[in-house]
Amino acid sequence: MALDRRTFLRATGISLALPWLDASTPSRALGAPIAPPRRMVCVCTPLGLHAPNFFPEKAGKEYPNTPYLEVLKDFRDDYTVISGLSHPEIENSHDSIFSFLTAAPHPERRTGFRNTISLDQFASERIGTETRFPSLSLSGEGFGLSWTSSGALVPSDWSPSRLFARLFIEGRPDEKEAQARRLRDGQSILDSVGDQAKRLRSGLGANDREKLDEYFSSVRELEQRLAKSEEWAKKPKPKVDAKQPQDIPNSGDLIGRTRLLFDLTHLALQTDSTRLITIMLGGASTVPPIPGVTMAHHDLSHHGQDPAKLAQLKTLETEKLKVLRDLLTKLKQSKEEGGALLDHTMVFFSSNLGNASNHSCKNLPVLLAGGGFKHGRHVAFDAKNGPPLCNLYVSMLQRMGIEADKFGSSTGTLTGLKTA
Amino acid sequence: MKCLQLGFATVFGFWAFAQALGQDTAPDKDQFDARIRPFLVKHCQECHSGQKPKGDLRLDRLPPDFAESANRERWLNVAKRVRAGEMPPKAKPRPPEKEIEAIAGWVNSKVEAAAAKRAAEGRVVLRRLNRVEYENTVRDLLGIEIELKELLPLDTSAHGFDNIGEALHTSSFLMDRYLEAADAALNVAIANGKQPPLVKKRYTLKDERIVKISEESVYRHRDDALVMFSSSQWNAITVGQFYPPDRGKYRIRISAYGLQSSGKPVTFRVDGGPMLMGTKNHLVGYFDAAPDKPTLVEFVDHFEARNHIRISPYGLANAQMVHKIGADKYEGAGLAVQWVEVEGPLHDTWPPECHRRIFGDLEQKPAPNYRVEVVSKNPEADAGRILRDFTRRAFRRTVTDQDVQPFVDLVKKKLAEKQSFEQAVRVGLKAVMVSPEFLFFREKPGKLDDFALASRLSYFLWSTMPDDELLAVAGLGGLTDPGTLSAQVERMLKHPKAAAFTENFLGQWLSLRDIDFTSPDFRLYPEFDEMLKEAMVRETHLFFDELLKNDLSLTNLVACDFTFLNERLAKHYGIPGVEGLRMRKVMLPAESHRGGVLTMGSVLKVTANGTNTSPVTRGAWVLDRILGTPPSPPPSGVSAVEPDIRGATTIREQLARHRQIASCAMCHSKIDPAGFALESFDVIGGWRENYRSVGNGKPVTIKGRRMPYLEGRKVDPADALPDGRKFKNIDELKQLLLSDKNQLARALATHLLTYATGAAPTDADRQQIEAIVKRVREKDYGFRTLVHEIVQSKLFQSK
Repeated sequence: MALDRRTFLRATGISLALPWLDASTPSRALGAPIAPPRRMVCVCTPLGLHAPNFFPEKAGKEYPNTPYLEVLKDFRDDYTVISGLSHPEIENSHDSIFSFLTAAPHPERRTGFRNTISLDQFASERIGTETRFPSLSLSGEGFGLSWTSSGALVPSDWSPSRLFARLFIEGRPDEKEAQARRLRDGQSILDSVGDQAKRLRSGLGANDREKLDEYFSSVRELEQRLAKSEEWAKKPKPKVDAKQPQDIPNSGDLIGRTRLLFDLTHLALQTDSTRLITIMLGGASTVPPIPGVTMAHHDLSHHGQDPAKLAQLKTLETEKLKVLRDLLTKLKQSKEEGGALLDHTMVFFSSNLGNASNHSCKNLPVLLAGGGFKHGRHVAFDAKNGPPLCNLYVSMLQRMGIEADKFGSSTGTLTGLKTA
Repeated sequence: MKCLQLGFATVFGFWAFAQALGQDTAPDKDQFDARIRPFLVKHCQECHSGQKPKGDLRLDRLPPDFAESANRERWLNVAKRVRAGEMPPKAKPRPPEKEIEAIAGWVNSKVEAAAAKRAAEGRVVLRRLNRVEYENTVRDLLGIEIELKELLPLDTSAHGFDNIGEALHTSSFLMDRYLEAADAALNVAIANGKQPPLVKKRYTLKDERIVKISEESVYRHRDDALVMFSSSQWNAITVGQFYPPDRGKYRIRISAYGLQSSGKPVTFRVDGGPMLMGTKNHLVGYFDAAPDKPTLVEFVDHFEARNHIRISPYGLANAQMVHKIGADKYEGAGLAVQWVEVEGPLHDTWPPECHRRIFGDLEQKPAPNYRVEVVSKNPEADAGRILRDFTRRAFRRTVTDQDVQPFVDLVKKKLAEKQSFEQAVRVGLKAVMVSPEFLFFREKPGKLDDFALASRLSYFLWSTMPDDELLAVAGLGGLTDPGTLSAQVERMLKHPKAAAFTENFLGQWLSLRDIDFTSPDFRLYPEFDEMLKEAMVRETHLFFDELLKNDLSLTNLVACDFTFLNERLAKHYGIPGVEGLRMRKVMLPAESHRGGVLTMGSVLKVTANGTNTSPVTRGAWVLDRILGTPPSPPPSGVSAVEPDIRGATTIREQLARHRQIASCAMCHSKIDPAGFALESFDVIGGWRENYRSVGNGKPVTIKGRRMPYLEGRKVDPADALPDGRKFKNIDELKQLLLSDKNQLARALATHLLTYATGAAPTDADRQQIEAIVKRVREKDYGFRTLVHEIVQSKLFQSK
C-alpha cells in the first residue's frame, strides 16, 4: 500500500530538530563540539554569460583572468570555475530552464516532458526539517528553479519585503493568534479532504489513481509542514540588525532586485533560518536602469554579433558579477564556529544556457564558490564530451553530508573537485 | 454500511483487474526477450542505439510499454516501416518475412491490449483545474472580482496547452497556495464591515504632482483644461488624487478635446493599477478626443484599493521636441483634459450580492476589531444549509448528504473549539475549495454523465464552471440529447464568457500569449509601439471570432481576402484608407500579401525574437500548428545557427548546408520552405524586400528622416515543397497549402480536441477524427460546424 500514513510520517521525519544556533541545543549544553551546518545556494542567470568574457582559456591554477572573473579577483582562491559541463538529453531552448536543477530530459519537447525533483528539494527532503524554512525558492521575476518529485513547480518568493517579514518580523499578538488559527484550521481541512481523496480512489483507473495519490500525498505532506510551522510559530524569530527592504517595482532592475535577494540570502543563512536556497535571476524583457544599457537583457542576448549590443551585454553582465562578488564578501565576512559562513556555504552560480544567442545548452558557465572545496582553479572539460552537470550536483550533495551517489543524469562525482 | 461494501467491491474489482494485467506481463516480458529483442539487436540496433542513434530513435532503450502514447506511436512506426520495407535500409539484408510478421503481430496485439485498457480506464487522465480555470471558477462560484492566478505556481503545458491532465501535477506547495487563495477569495466575498461610502469627485490635472514638478515644459495650462503635448512615457499623468481606500467598481468620466490637432482627433490611452514603476497595470482602453470639442469618455472598471488611473496621449511629439519650443508656444497637437470624475465604489446592495449568496439573510453583529460578523441562532442547521448549497455549486453537480457531511463535521468541530459561527463556516467553505471534487474533474470511464459533460463543455468554451442553466439542463438528464447539446453550444458561444475560448485556445494554439516575450530592438524597428502590438493581437482575436461566428471556412486561416484593422495596423501593413482607432473588417487589396493568420503581425512577432527571424523556427511552427505535422526534434549535439545581423551573410546562406547534408535535409526540406516564404516579414510582421542591418548596408531615409538601421541584403523567399512544387513567395505558398484542405481541418480538429478534453488524441482516434473531418468538409469546412462536431463526437463525450 503506497499511501500508508505511518510510512509517510516515517519517511518525512516527524521529529523536530532544534536549530543550530539555538543555545538550548542539548549537545551544546553538554559541551560536545558541533559541526557547523552545511548550506547550499543555487543561482541561475537564465540568459547565460557571454562565454568569451567568462571562461579562461587556460585550465588549472595559473589561468589569466577574463573580464568577468576579474570582478571576482579578490575571491580567486574561494571559487572554482568549471567549463565543459552540460545536461545530456536537454536540447537548445529557453525551456531548458525547467530542468536546470532537475536534469529531467527533454524539456524542449512539447509533449511527454515530466519534471523531476530539483537538487535543493532533494536535499530538503533529507535535511529540511532542521530549520524554520526547509528551503527557500527565490526569484527576481516569475517562476523559480525548484520542483517537487511529482514534477510540480515550487512557488517562489519574489518580494524581498514579504520574505523579510516571514523570516524576521514577529507579528502583533492578534496577527500571531490569527496565524496560529490558520495553521490549525489548515490541518483540520487537510485531514478532512485527504480522507475524501482516499474514498474517491475506488473506481478509478491506474493513471487516475496516480493523480489522486499525488493529491493525497501533497495533502499529507502539507499537513506535516503546517504542524511543524505551528511548532516554529511558538519560538521567537531571529533578530537581525537589517531593516525590512522595500521591494523594487521596476521588473527591469535585475541588479537591484538581485542585490535584495542576495542580502536576504545572507541573512537567512546567517540566522540558520534555512540551509537551502535557490535563486532565479529576473529582468529579461525590460530595459534595466544601468548607465550605458539601453536594451533589455533578452534582446541583448540575441546580439547577432552586433558589437554595440555585445558591449552593452558586457556592461550588464559585469554588474551581475559585481552583485555576486558582494554576496561572497558578506558570506566571507560573517564568522561562525569553524570559520567563515562561506566555508560552509556552497554558492553555485550558473545558467541553463551556454550561449543565449542561439539558445545552446552546451558548455554551461559554472562557478562554484565556498563550501569547503579546494578552490582557485579552472577545471576544464571538453565541451563535446564533458561530464554531466549532475556529477557536480552529486559532489555538492555529498558535501552537504547527504549520502547520495546518484542524482539526475549523474555518472559519479565530479572529477577534479576536491574537498579542502 | 451498504456504501462501504460497494466501495470494497469496486476496489476489489480493480485489484483483480490489476492482477490480471500483472499476470499478463511476466510471460509478456519473456516473449519480448525471446522474440522481439533478438530481432532488434540483429537488424536495427547497429544504427538505432548508443549516444547518437539515427533518427534519434534508440531501440535499445525503447520500453515495451504501450500505455505511454509516445512509446506506442514509436513502436507502431517501427512495425510500419519494417513492413513497408523502408527499414532496415535497402543496403542491409532483409529479415525473413516470418520474423517481420512476428514483430508486426506483437506490436498489434500490444496496441490492442492498450486500447482495451484505455476503454476500461478512459482516454483522459484525471485532470485538475489549471490556474486560469481555478481563478475563473472561484470568481463565478463566489460572484467576485479577484486575481488569484499569480498566487498559484505556473502550470506545465503539454501538447501545446496548459490544461492537459497528464501534465498537471499537485504538490504540497500548491495545496498551501490553494489554502491561501481560498482565504483571499473568501475575504473579498464576505463583508466584514459597513458599506464603504460612495465617493464622487471631480479632479483637474493641473493639481497633479507630476505637472507641478516637471522640469520639462510639456504641459500648458488653459482656463478650462490642462494640455498634454508629449507622448513620452514619463510625461503621462497618473491621477494621484484618485486613491480609493476601498476596492470595488468605479465609474470614471474623462472630458477631453484635441487642441491644435488640424481637425483630427487626438488619441489617448488609459491604464489602471498600482502605477508603481514596472508593476502590472491593466489597459482600460484607447480613446479618441474630438478636435476642439470636449468629448466625454466614460467607463466602469474594477479597482483594487489604492489603485490609480493614468492618462497617456498617443502618437504626439516626444518630450524633447516640445520642451525645446516650450509648451506655451508649441504649435503641434495636444490633448486637453478638462477634468476627471470618479464615482464609487458602486454597490447595488449591502451586504453585497456575493456575501448573501453564501449567507442569505443571516444577521451581522459587531465583532472585535471594528468588524461585523454573521451570527446564527441555529448554527448547525444554518451551516448545513449553507454548505450544501455551496458544495453543490462548487462540485458542479447534485450532491448527497454524504458529499456534504465531511464539511459539516468540520464546522461542528470548529464550533466545538469555540470558534465563532462565521469563522467555523469559513473553515467549511475553505475545505470545499481545496477538496478533490472541487479541484479535479469528476469523469468516470466510459460515456460521461450529464454533469461531467456539462463541466467538460463549460471548461472548453468558457474556461470556467457551468452556469445555472447548463447545470439545470444536466440535472434534467437531457444534455446528451444532440439537439439540446447543440442548442447549449450555440448559447454558450454567444455568451460573453466565450471570450475565454478565444483567449485561451487561440492564445496558446497560435502562441499569442508570448507576445511580450521579446521587445523588438528599437534601432532596427523604431516604428514599433504598444498600440501596434495591441492591434496585432486584437486582429487575430477578431478574425478568429469572425470565422467562428459566421461558420466561415477554416481554410481562411491560411488564405483570406479580409482581415481586421485600425489605422495603426493598416499603416504597418501598408493598406490605405483605414482611419481611426476602431478595429474593423477590411477587404484586402489583391497585392497586399496579407490575409490568414500566417501573415498576421502577431504570429510573425511571436515566431521571431526581437532582433532576427529564423526560417527554421517559423517553418517548424507552421508544420506544428497549421499542418499538424510537427517535425521530429533536432538530433542531439547539433548546435543551432549563430545569428548574425551585421549584414555580411543572410540566414538563408547560413542554412544552405542543410540542403547539402542528407541527414539534415531529410527534415529540413520539410521545415524550411514555409520559413523561407515568411522571411518576407520582419520580426514585427512588417513586409520587407531587404533585411535591416546594423553593420553593412545602405542608409535608409523615410520622410526626410534618417533611420537608425541600414538596408541589408535582399530577402529570397522562393523555395520548393519536399514534393517538388515550387513557390516564388508567400502568396504562392499559401495556395499550395490550400491544396490539402482536409489536412488543415485534421490539424485544427486535433488541436481543438486536445484543448477541449485535456488530452491529445492518438493514432487510435484517427478514424473518429476522419469522421469529424468528413462532416466538416460537407459544410464547406465551416469553423463553427467543427466546434459542434467536436462536441458531438464520442471522443468529447467519453472520458
